[in-house]
Amino acid sequence: MKKEHEILLQDRARKLSLEPPVSVSGKEVMDVITFSLASETYAIESVFVREVYPLKAYTSLPGTPDFVLGIVNVRGQILSVINLKKFFHLPEAGIGELNKVIIVRNGRMEFGILADVVHGTRQIAKSLIQQPLPTITGIGADFLLGVTRDSLILLNIEHMLQDQSIIVDIEVN
Amino acid sequence: MRFFNNLSTRTKLILGFGLLWLLLAIVIVIANFVIIDVTNSEKELNTVHLRSVLMTEKLRFVMNQQRVSILQLLLTEDKTKQDSLITRIKGRAGASSILVDSLRLMNSESDYLLKVSKIDSIREMYRKTREIQIALMEKGEIKQARDLGLGIQELRFETISKIIFDLSEETQKAMDKQVERDKEQSQVSRYLFIIMAAVGLIGGILLVVLLNISIVLPLNKLSILAEKISGRNDLSVDIPVQSRKDEIGRLGKAFKRMLENLRGSTAELTSLLFEVKDTVNVLAASSSEILAASTQVATGAVQTSVSITETSTTVEEVRQAAQLSSQKAMEVSENAHHVSQISQDGQNAVEETIHGMDHVRQQMELIAQTIIRLSEQSQSIGGIIASVNDVADQSNLLAVNAAIEAAKAGEQGKGFAVVAQEIKSLAEQSKKATSQVRTILFDVQKATSAAVMAAEQGSKAVEAGVKQSVHTREAIKVLTDSTRDAANVATQILASSKQQLIGMDQIGVAIKTINQAGNENAASMKQVKQSAQDLNELGIKLKMLVEKSVL
Repeated sequence: MKKEHEILLQDRARKLSLEPPVSVSGKEVMDVITFSLASETYAIESVFVREVYPLKAYTSLPGTPDFVLGIVNVRGQILSVINLKKFFHLPEAGIGELNKVIIVRNGRMEFGILADVVHGTRQIAKSLIQQPLPTITGIGADFLLGVTRDSLILLNIEHMLQDQSIIVDIEVN
Repeated sequence: MRFFNNLSTRTKLILGFGLLWLLLAIVIVIANFVIIDVTNSEKELNTVHLRSVLMTEKLRFVMNQQRVSILQLLLTEDKTKQDSLITRIKGRAGASSILVDSLRLMNSESDYLLKVSKIDSIREMYRKTREIQIALMEKGEIKQARDLGLGIQELRFETISKIIFDLSEETQKAMDKQVERDKEQSQVSRYLFIIMAAVGLIGGILLVVLLNISIVLPLNKLSILAEKISGRNDLSVDIPVQSRKDEIGRLGKAFKRMLENLRGSTAELTSLLFEVKDTVNVLAASSSEILAASTQVATGAVQTSVSITETSTTVEEVRQAAQLSSQKAMEVSENAHHVSQISQDGQNAVEETIHGMDHVRQQMELIAQTIIRLSEQSQSIGGIIASVNDVADQSNLLAVNAAIEAAKAGEQGKGFAVVAQEIKSLAEQSKKATSQVRTILFDVQKATSAAVMAAEQGSKAVEAGVKQSVHTREAIKVLTDSTRDAANVATQILASSKQQLIGMDQIGVAIKTINQAGNENAASMKQVKQSAQDLNELGIKLKMLVEKSVL
């Protein structure tokens, strides 16, 4: 038991002794939050993230498109939650945990995105971001910023927040 | 024939003779009718035809006489003679008219009446002319009168006489015809009577034959059979079964029954005699057997006395053997008592074993309960681990949020970001620890359930042990009982061998008595032999008697 503890401490020490990644201030880096959803790892700019919240209970809304999971109560504020898998028409490969909500916002819109695991924050140099192939049509180039070398998919959350298709306006008699 | 047989004899006779009488009556009636018919015919012949013939002949005669008188009158010239002739003529005329009237009444045939009235009319004319003649004669005109008489009157007279002749002829013809008819009728009647007589004769003969067949022949048969039975005492004759219902049928049936009864009683008598014969034979055989047997018994008695002497020595030997067996029985009895005590000890030991087993079982149950409690507690540990895991998760989120806030703060939040990173790693560590604890807990749970199983098996084994020891107890109990029984039996054997010794002594005394009795037996056997001989003779006599009677 003690040994494991020591190994853990040594490991951490080793990590800390490493040279920090090249941190270039200014416009060359961007802060992102990484999360995994159905065996893929995604990243969104932390500028648009308000907070991460555990999904404990939600209320499904009848009459809405199937990418809308429902609504949740976050400390008295009612927010809608979107399932990105349904939104991007991804195949439902396996059942994830889906018990985290990343709340994103800009000035006008505010909603939650469903995630399996939220890994944390990190910085990515913009120069490392590779443009997605133009043939990719699965998610739609509009919502993709790019892909990093360690196969991190950067979502264009700003565009998503402005997109009209995410607004549901249906009247039911 | 069958119907005739069934009638009673009286009815048969009445029927037969009645038929003959009926035939006779018919014949009498028919003869009566025929005679009446013939008489009538005769009467007609006599009264009508014969008289009319006579009458016509008479008329002719009268007419002839009258003619003769007239002719005489015409020839004579003597006045007196003439007068007497005229009166005679007149008288004759009256007679002829009476005759014609009576002729008219005689027959009613139209032809006949026509002829008679023709005669009458011609005669009237003739009479008138004659009156004229007579008047002419009285006046003396003889010539004229003669002319008249030889002319017209001659013709008329001829005619009348011809008619009369015809009449007479016809009547005679009718008579002949009637006579012929009568003759035919009488012929027919004669044939009828001959047939009747033949029928009567044949009927009579048939009646006789019939009565002979139906009454006399069966009676003859029966009488022959009766003679056979009475004369030769032959009971084997067979009487034919007669289904007829008259007196002869009844007689036959009664006779048959009588014969059967006679046969039955004779057969019984014969079989009785044969039985008696058999019995007598058996008696004779038995008596000779008894004779032989009594001789054998006499020799047997001598042999018995020899055997008795042998027996007495044997009894002495047996007595010694019984003494030996009594000693052995005493030893066996002691051994059996010893064994019984040992088995009692064994039973006690098994009882203690059963108590010990019971205690073990209780302990096992206690262990099983404890282990179950342990398992429940490990379940609750699992719950606690889950909640710790949850807390770690939430701390992790909190760290992420802190990192986000730090990023928002920019350069000032860098330190806070490090803190957040630390919190995050702590949360991860605690998560790892909980997963380790969970693995350990899983092992513990497995072990406890294995322990539960083992405890259960142990308690089952103990139960089987208890059962086994109960069986053992039963077996030892049975063993104890049987050893006790063996001991008892040994005691009984001891007692009975003592009694055997006493009995042997008594047997010695009894054999002496038997010896005496054997001698007495031999004496009485001689008497028996004599009696058997007498019996044998009696049997032979009886046999002879019976054989005589059977023959």
